[in-house]
Amino acid sequence: MVMPDWLSNLSVWVGEIMIGVGVVSDVIAAIGMLRFPNFFVRLHAATIGTIWGAFLPLVGVAILSVGADYLGSYRWFMGGGALITAVLILILGPAGSHALARAAYRSKAAKVEPKCVDHLEEHIRGEERDRNA
Amino acid sequence: MAGIEQQVTTFTLIMFPIYILAFTLYIIRAVKGPTIPDTVLAIDAMTYDLAAFLVILSIFFRSPILIPTAIVLALWVYALDVYVSKYLESKEMGG
Repeated sequence: MVMPDWLSNLSVWVGEIMIGVGVVSDVIAAIGMLRFPNFFVRLHAATIGTIWGAFLPLVGVAILSVGADYLGSYRWFMGGGALITAVLILILGPAGSHALARAAYRSKAAKVEPKCVDHLEEHIRGEERDRNA
Repeated sequence: MAGIEQQVTTFTLIMFPIYILAFTLYIIRAVKGPTIPDTVLAIDAMTYDLAAFLVILSIFFRSPILIPTAIVLALWVYALDVYVSKYLESKEMGG
């Protein structure tokens, strides 16, 4: 399949811009992961790192590899694999973070602070009281 | 066509040190992390970025052999998340 020159140039440019934005937000997420005070605040940085730092560059690679003719016909395999990885990360990243946050809260492995009001704690305590009664 | 090849190779070469910087920061948090969820969260975010890094690396090397590795890595780190949260919540791995 022969692509017009301007189209492959455009897809390479779009892919490079997406990879660049992804890498920059990756560094921002890493700095946040290092500087934030506790686990539940660090979850915000982890979200930036998975969606903006991994999903976006993978879609960018998929778009870039379509336009990069010098890769040969294997570029379709590369683009498809990158797209599949991107969709997997889009689904699995938030699911894993939520499971980890729930487990860390319920097992009291990480402290919730600073906090003003915690309705979930009251709810769990009420459940336990009902079970014991 | 040679112009595109040169441009993409230079671009990926510029991206590598920035990725390595981010990985270093994640590893510092993973080693320091005061609690288990902190360590697991840092490794989680780092491995998703490592999958993206491997795909960019395969563009740089012009070889498709690193692509299946990225897919397996993304699935593996989700399994890590689920196992650790299961262990934290009920103190057993579950058969």
